[in-house]
Amino acid sequence: MRVLVVEDEKKAALFIRKALQAEGFAVDVCHHGDEVLTAVKATVFDGIVLDIMLPGRDGLSVLKQLREQKNRTPVLLLSARGEVNERVEGLNAGADDYLPKPFAIAELVARVRALGRRGTEPQSPLLRVGDLTLDTVLHRAERRGKYFDLTAREFRLLEFFMRSPGRICGRMSIIENVWDYDFDPGTNLVDVYVKRLREKIDDGFEPKLLHTVRGAGYVLRE
Amino acid sequence: MKIRTRLILWYATILIISLIVMGIGTYEEVAEQMEIEHRRHLWENALHETGEMVVSAGMPAVALGLLGGWWITRRAMRPVTALTEAVEKIHDRNLREQLPRTGNGDELDRLTEVFNTMTQRLDTSFQRIREFTLHASHELKTPLTIMRGELETALREENFTPVQKERLLCQIDEIERLAKIVDALTLLTKVDAGQVQLNFELVQLSDLVEESVADMKILAQPQNIQVKLNECEDISISGDRHRLRQLLLNLTDNAVKYNHLNGTITVSLRRNEGFGEIKISNTGAGVTPELQPRVFERFFRGDASHNSAIEGCGLGLSIAQWIVLAHLGTIQFVSEPNKLTTVTVRFPAIGGNSQRA
Repeated sequence: MRVLVVEDEKKAALFIRKALQAEGFAVDVCHHGDEVLTAVKATVFDGIVLDIMLPGRDGLSVLKQLREQKNRTPVLLLSARGEVNERVEGLNAGADDYLPKPFAIAELVARVRALGRRGTEPQSPLLRVGDLTLDTVLHRAERRGKYFDLTAREFRLLEFFMRSPGRICGRMSIIENVWDYDFDPGTNLVDVYVKRLREKIDDGFEPKLLHTVRGAGYVLRE
Repeated sequence: MKIRTRLILWYATILIISLIVMGIGTYEEVAEQMEIEHRRHLWENALHETGEMVVSAGMPAVALGLLGGWWITRRAMRPVTALTEAVEKIHDRNLREQLPRTGNGDELDRLTEVFNTMTQRLDTSFQRIREFTLHASHELKTPLTIMRGELETALREENFTPVQKERLLCQIDEIERLAKIVDALTLLTKVDAGQVQLNFELVQLSDLVEESVADMKILAQPQNIQVKLNECEDISISGDRHRLRQLLLNLTDNAVKYNHLNGTITVSLRRNEGFGEIKISNTGAGVTPELQPRVFERFFRGDASHNSAIEGCGLGLSIAQWIVLAHLGTIQFVSEPNKLTTVTVRFPAIGGNSQRA
């Protein structure tokens, strides 16, 4: 997967590039808004990581022009302002996702990866990770013959983890997808919920499935 | 006393004094006449004549004078009243609007001009403060992003001992905390600048309350706090779903954070005189009465020595207050130290006046 990173802060561009390369992405970097349009003409990218605040032209106007030119490359917007209206504005301008700064690298990587998958994966009703299965139609979770009693929110949380097994889920994307909040709640709500979910699905079972990645988020894997 | 009343009173006094002067003058004139003509019953006649003159001619003149005076002062004061009303409408959001000037160059026109220059200067300095905070929050986020990124990259690439690793992870936690403060500050600055728009829609308040009670139960579990939902009537309001959730989560978080082990939280939503009223009460240390009026102030954190262990930045209630006011509601904070702290939020309910049997 080939990704274009547009970020004027050289240091930030560098660690984003390193992180994406470590995950097996091919990464091109440019530091200026004006360079984007020429870059996308020369190369076909699978995704663009676009900072909003750029010298020359800001990310939103670059994005708008990209979409006007019928370029449908998935775009993840980065913003240092991280404010509600801006997110809506970005998505309206044609962005596929939005990530406020400062972000966890794992979160960025997960979202860039999701850009490539957008809309291509069928939503299977039966999810399976190891010996844990989740039936999204019957609303039932089961592990080695034991059925779990989950609240609606715990169910959505588990479903969210099970739809991206083995990948780190950042706090912010959990908040957005499971709680449908467009703000950072500033509480340890997610952590407490994950802890409870873990008590239900992991206590008394081996191997443990739900793991914490300090400073990044959570991952469900065998 | 109003200037107008004062002027009228002075004017009335002057008129009465002139009436008395007129009476004395008339009396002497009449007395002289009487002396020349008859030299009889001098005193009584002169007095009688004078009295008649004062009553029949003087009194109506005084009344007319007073009426005229009242009218003149009212006219003279009208521009002042208009100016007062215009100045009253000035607040920190509309400083850019100028007061209308008559342009006739009189004293009041000058005063208006001076007012206008003053509000202009105020507007400029308010603007400067807002811009400063907006830029500051943006300029702070970029280095925070880099710091966090560098730390994470180092953690992944370098081989650290567990102790070193823990230290770096603690740094990341602190960066995250700093970022949250900057976020909250940016939001409030944008609110001040009138740059945050709410998306109003029909919101079932009871659903949101039930949802936040569910979250509250989870958050309260580690401290073994009992959460009770006493009453939850079906109430709809016009509001921004996300902001209302943020409000409820803020209040929920406070009710748990400032509680004690084995404490309680009670929540209720009921209809009260056309308003949807949410009450959240929690046990805990509370806030002393003299500090209570300050709880909505930015960065207010009660007695800092007590709360240093509690995470938070002291902006939660400021944000809560903004959300409530933006929904034309009211928020009230009442605390009995070491007993019960209650936050009451009221929103205008839709169909609020219909009494259900």
